[in-house]
Amino acid sequence: MNEYELVVIIHPDLDDEAIDQALGRIDGWIKDSGGKIDSTDVWGKKHMAYEIQKQNEGIYYLLNVTLVPESIAELERNLTILEPVMRHMIVAK
Amino acid sequence: MADDYNNSSGNGSDQGKGRYRARFVRKPRFCQFCSDKTLVIDYKDVKLLRKFTTEEGKIRSRRQSGTCAKHQRAVAREIKRARHIALMPFTDGTWEEKIR
Repeated sequence: MNEYELVVIIHPDLDDEAIDQALGRIDGWIKDSGGKIDSTDVWGKKHMAYEIQKQNEGIYYLLNVTLVPESIAELERNLTILEPVMRHMIVAK
Repeated sequence: MADDYNNSSGNGSDQGKGRYRARFVRKPRFCQFCSDKTLVIDYKDVKLLRKFTTEEGKIRSRRQSGTCAKHQRAVAREIKRARHIALMPFTDGTWEEKIR
């Protein structure tokens, strides 16, 4: 089990419900693989340095997570598929 | 005329004006991260990382930024991370206009 930082950029046009749902799914994947979310940091809607998916803004979330290293590949794959997430990054602390 | 001896291949009149490219004299630099141990290089700290990029968004060389090899690697890594999550630009927005 190691500590990681997970940054997700969520599509700006989504309502709170859809965002919660997406975060819930991420939470679910992490828990299923034996990890946990230690804390969530909401950066809010930020202007991005360049367009992603034709959007100039994104809603940023920073999740401090503890993960089993083997589960990262699977989590990354899931995040890429999850529609509301425009971009994600997992970084070891 | 001992000086002429060194310039024997060229004409001696050039001496002292533009014959040799002016040497780049640089102030003695130090690595800010080595001298200030409390500074943390982190991709979230865009304000700090901005200092290590040019206006176009390119990463400044060690010659320009004065960081040591170890910290330059860290700076470069964090800038690349910041770029990935769109906190920093890969290029500034006007590059398309510039190449035209």
